[in-house]
Amino acid sequence: MRLAFWLYEGTALHGISRVTNSMKGVHTVYHAPQGDDYITATYTMLERTPAFPGLSISVVRGRDLAQGVSRLPSTLQQVEHHYHPDLTVIAPSCSTALLQEDLNQLALHSGVPEEKLLVYALNPFRVSENEAANGLFTELVKRYAAPQEKTAAPSVNLLGFTSLGFHLRANLTSLRRMLQTLGVSVNVVAPWGAGIDDLGKLPAAWLNIAPYREIGTTAAEYLAEEFAMPAIFDAPIGVEPTLAWLRSVIEQLNITGAERGVPPITMPKLHNFSLDGINAPSGVPWFARTADMESFSNKRAFVFGDATHTVGIVKFLKDELGMKIIGAGTYLEQHADWVRKELEGYLPGELMVTDKFQEVSKLIDEEMPDLVCGTQMERHSCRKLDVPCMVVCPPTHIENHLLGYYPFFGFDGSDVIADRVYLSCKLGLEKHLIDFFGDAGLEYEESSSSGEPHEALSAVSTGNGQSAHGVTPESESASGDGDMIWTDDAETMLKKVPFFVRKKVRKNTETFARESGATQVSVEVFRQAKDSLGG
Amino acid sequence: MMQVPGDVQIIKEDNVTHSFCGLACVGWMYQKIKDSFFLILGTHTCAHFLQNALGMMIFAKPRFGIALLEEGDLSKSEPTLEEIIREIKADHHPSVIFLLSSCTPEVMKVDFKGLAHHLTTPDVPVLFVPASGLVYNFTQAEDSVLHALVPFCPVAPAGEKKVVFLGSVNDVTADDLRAEAEELGIAVGGFLPESRFDRMPAIGPDTVLAPIQPYLSRVAVKLARERGARVLNSLFPFGPDGTRAFWEDLAREFGITVDLRDREKAAWEKIRKQTDMLKGKKVFLTADTMMELPLGRFLKNAGADVVECSSAYINKKFHSRELEALAGVRVVEQPNFHRQLEDVKRIKPDLIVTSLMTANPFVGHGFVVKWSMEFMLTSIHSWSGVFPLANLFVSPLQRRSLLPAFDEEVWLEGVMPSAE
Repeated sequence: MRLAFWLYEGTALHGISRVTNSMKGVHTVYHAPQGDDYITATYTMLERTPAFPGLSISVVRGRDLAQGVSRLPSTLQQVEHHYHPDLTVIAPSCSTALLQEDLNQLALHSGVPEEKLLVYALNPFRVSENEAANGLFTELVKRYAAPQEKTAAPSVNLLGFTSLGFHLRANLTSLRRMLQTLGVSVNVVAPWGAGIDDLGKLPAAWLNIAPYREIGTTAAEYLAEEFAMPAIFDAPIGVEPTLAWLRSVIEQLNITGAERGVPPITMPKLHNFSLDGINAPSGVPWFARTADMESFSNKRAFVFGDATHTVGIVKFLKDELGMKIIGAGTYLEQHADWVRKELEGYLPGELMVTDKFQEVSKLIDEEMPDLVCGTQMERHSCRKLDVPCMVVCPPTHIENHLLGYYPFFGFDGSDVIADRVYLSCKLGLEKHLIDFFGDAGLEYEESSSSGEPHEALSAVSTGNGQSAHGVTPESESASGDGDMIWTDDAETMLKKVPFFVRKKVRKNTETFARESGATQVSVEVFRQAKDSLGG
Repeated sequence: MMQVPGDVQIIKEDNVTHSFCGLACVGWMYQKIKDSFFLILGTHTCAHFLQNALGMMIFAKPRFGIALLEEGDLSKSEPTLEEIIREIKADHHPSVIFLLSSCTPEVMKVDFKGLAHHLTTPDVPVLFVPASGLVYNFTQAEDSVLHALVPFCPVAPAGEKKVVFLGSVNDVTADDLRAEAEELGIAVGGFLPESRFDRMPAIGPDTVLAPIQPYLSRVAVKLARERGARVLNSLFPFGPDGTRAFWEDLAREFGITVDLRDREKAAWEKIRKQTDMLKGKKVFLTADTMMELPLGRFLKNAGADVVECSSAYINKKFHSRELEALAGVRVVEQPNFHRQLEDVKRIKPDLIVTSLMTANPFVGHGFVVKWSMEFMLTSIHSWSGVFPLANLFVSPLQRRSLLPAFDEEVWLEGVMPSAE
C-alpha cells in the first residue's frame, strides 16, 4: 500500500480500449461498476472522436452482487443489436476481476455467436496499460492472421500504432512519406484504423515494421515465427537512425524481392525525402554544426519516459546535438532491461527505473539539468523548479493532440525534436542573462506569452476552471481590459515578478480586485490576491 | 413506471450508461473544504480516473490522494493505513481526513466504518465516505461527504430559527445567497459545507434546511430525522422561476410573505434574447450530473421543448416540486444510452446536454451539444446566476450559427479511422 497522486501508466482496461478504439468493427464491453468507462472521455476529448468509441459498460451494481444478477448477457445483446460489431471484447475491471466469475459462460448466455466474442480477462493488479494493449493486439493477430500469397510489389505492415499514441498521426504520416519515396506500399496499419479483415491480410506484406517497443513487437515476433515474416523493430528517431532504418527496410525488402524475382529497391537521392523534394531532408546535421549550437555542447540533459522514446531521445541528444547526458530513466519496469542494453555507453550511471514521479522530481531538483525530456509530469515538476523541459513521450495530454504536423519519427521528426530542444533551452539561456543582469536593462515585451504557466495537468481539461472560482461570463469579458488602476507601490511590486508571468499575474490580480470589490490595486490588494490565488 | 404527484411518470431504465462514479466529487469537495484531505482507498483505476477524466489539477501538494491497493494487499484481511495517514498529516496538517471507499475494497468487504474509527485521533477525525461506483453516481458522493460531516455540526438550540443552505457552492455564490436571504429578513445559520471543517453550521429543531443542489437527498433526510430540522420543499434556485419559488417558499418558512413576481419578470426580461433563442428548441438531457431535473424545468419554463430529461437518480419526495413542474416532459431515471442514441437520431434535438464522454461524438453526428459538467462549474444560482445559466444553453447554439457550413465528408476524413 502506498499513497499515490498521479501515475504514468493507465490500467489494463485502458490498454485494452486503446486497441479496440483503434479498430473498425470492434467493440469493448466493460463488465464493471458505474464510472469505469471514464476512459471514453480520453478518446472523445483528446482525440476528439466524431463517432462514439466502441465502448459500452455493462454496469455492475452493489445490489446485483447481493442478488447474483448479471447484466452482461443483456448488454452483449444490446451491443449486437445496435452496433453489429465483428468482435466484442469483454473485460472485467479491477473490482469485478475479484469476483472470479466465469465470464465466458456468462457471455455465451447472450446468444451472440462465440466466434464474435473474446473474453480478455487479465489480472488488473499485475498488468498495466501497455502490457494489456500489447497482449490484446498480439492475441487478435494470432486469432485472425491467415496464411496467404504475398503482395506482388514490395509492401510493409506498420504495427503498434494505437489510439492515444504519442504524436501518432504525424509519425504515421512521416513513415508513409518515406515509404512512398522508396516506392513501397503499406499493406496494413494496425491496430489504428484496421478491421478484423485487415488483421487477416497481415501475412500478405513482405515486412513488418514495429517501431514501438511497448506495443506491436510481440505481434511482429509472432508473425516472424508463424509466417516467416521479417521485422524491423528500430524507431527512426534522429537523422542517422532514420538513414539506418531506411537502409534496413531496403535490405529486408530486397531479400524477399530477390526470392521473388522483383528488381531491387535502391536508396533514392536524399532530397527526395524532403517535404518539397528538392532540399535537404532535415536541417539537423547543419544546425548541429552551427556556431550558435556551440553553446549547447555542454548542456546537461536528463531524459525520462517510456522505453521507445527514452532510448531514441537520449541517442538523439548525444549523437546528433552533442549534448551531455547526465542520466535517464523509464517508468516501464518490464522494458528496463531493453532500455539498459540500448543505452549501453550512453549513461554515466545506472538507469533510473521508477513509477513514482516524486522520485524523478527529486532527482531533477538535485541535478538541476539544463534540459529535461520527459512526460507531462516532468514538465510540471520542472516548471516548479524553473528547469527547461520538453515533453517527449506518453501518457498523452491534450497538448500532444495538436492539429499541426509534429512527428517524432523520420527526417521530419528530427527537425521537430531539434526545434523543441532549441526553444526549450533558449528560454533558459535568456533567463541566465536576466538572472545575471536583472531585467532592468533588457526590454522584454510584456506580450510575451511563451512562459505562461498552464497549471492544468489533467489530460482532459474542460477549459472552464475559471468559472469554478465564480467568474461569470460577464466579468470574464471585462477582465484584463486595463480599467483597473494600480498604485505606484503595487506597480513596483509587480515589476519584481518575472517578466514571463507578469501579464498573467496582472490580469489575475485585477480579476481578484474586481471580485472583492476593490476599485484599485494597492499593495495590500496585491498581497491578498497573491495569497488567494496561491502566490 | 412510478407515479408521483402531478401525474409525472418516471420511466426507469437500467444498464448501459456513460457517467462518472462518486469519486468525482473529490474534484470540487477538496477545493471547497480547505483544511481537509480526501483519501481514497482504491486501485490504479481510481487514480487514473481522477488524473484523467476530471479537470483535476496537480498542485505542489494536492489535498487528495489514493491509498493504492496493490496485488499484495488483496490477501490481507484489513488494509493498514497508519503509515499513509502519518504521511498525510506530516505533509498537509489537515483538520479532517475523508476516507472514501471505492469498488475493489467494497468487493473485498473492507470494514470502512471500523477502519475510519480506528484511524481517528482526538485532533484529526477520519470520516468514512461511501463513494464507490457500485452504488454512487457522480455528484451523489457529495451527499456522502455531508452525511459524514453531520456529527460535526453543533446542535442549534430550539428556538434558533435560521436557514442552513445545503450544498457546496463557491464562496462568491455563498456570499450572494447569504446577502439575499438577509435582505429578505431571513436569519442565516450558514452552509453545509462551510469552507473550513471547524466552522460547520449549527443545526437544530428550528433550522430550515434549504437544499441548493439537487443531489443531496440522503443528508437532508438524516438531518430531519436526527435533528428535527425542516427541509424546504421548493424548486432549486436555478433560473428566474426556480429562484422566485425558492426565496418565496423559504421566506414563508420564516413567516415572511414576499412577492417576487416582479423580480422574476425582470429576470426573464434580462434573458429575453436568450429565451427567444430557446423558444421551441428541442432539448435532450442525457443524464450525467444529476442537475438535470432543475435544468430541464428551467428550459421548459423558458419555452424550450424538453424532449427528454434523464437523471441517474430521482427521489420522488426530494424532487417532488421539480417533477411537478416538469409535468408533460419525458423523465427517465438511469437511462439506457443505446436507447437514447436511437431516440436522439429519430427526434433530432436542437441541443443535447450531455457528459464529457459523449459530447464530441454527438457533434460528429451533426448535433449541437453542451457539456453537462459546465453547469457545475459556473455560478448559476439565484438571481445573479440567471444570466450565466441562460448563456450556457444559448452559447453553443449561437456559436454554431456563426460557423460556416460543414461538409463532413471532407473535414472528418481520417479523424477517426476506426469509424470509417
